[in-house]
Amino acid sequence: MSDKTLTKAEIVDAIYEKTNRNRAEVKNIVESLLKIMKQAIKKDHALLISGFGKFEAYDKQARKGRNPQTDETITLPPRKVVVFRLSRKFRAELNQQ
Amino acid sequence: MNKSELVKALAEEHMLPIDEASMMVDTFFDCLRDAMVRGERVEIRGFGSFKVKEYKSYLGRNPKTGTNVEVPPKKLPAFRAGKELKDVLNG
Repeated sequence: MSDKTLTKAEIVDAIYEKTNRNRAEVKNIVESLLKIMKQAIKKDHALLISGFGKFEAYDKQARKGRNPQTDETITLPPRKVVVFRLSRKFRAELNQQ
Repeated sequence: MNKSELVKALAEEHMLPIDEASMMVDTFFDCLRDAMVRGERVEIRGFGSFKVKEYKSYLGRNPKTGTNVEVPPKKLPAFRAGKELKDVLNG
């Protein structure tokens, strides 16, 4: 298991190497891509990337919670959460020897 | 939204040829997938992070037949939404 972390900068570099646009422009495009993805998850409740997986937004009901520090009972508001389900292809790639 | 719609939306926003937008979207997800296959963490600021979790083998049960089955060890990515994504969804 590696301790390395992939970040946006490396993704920008990988794309930059395959195009003749400058790095700043590629960075802008990657930011747009992320913005479009976020909006799609909000608007469609799902973003399906074949061969990779699916991001799904679903609603969580309001529930009663408790502040562990003060012991106060509070109502946590309803909210939307995102789950990622990986594709069969990606699952197979992760688990091959 | 699916991948081809994502490519189209990106191409329109930046007036890119479809081929180039498609290469960019593919490269983006290839980077994520390859990093996780290598066992690396992924952190995309504002969107979220992925961490590959290793699960040990355990004794499961076939819910249809009730027989015990050995579930082999497996690796699965865990996704955590970033702050901006949570804000977009709940804003």
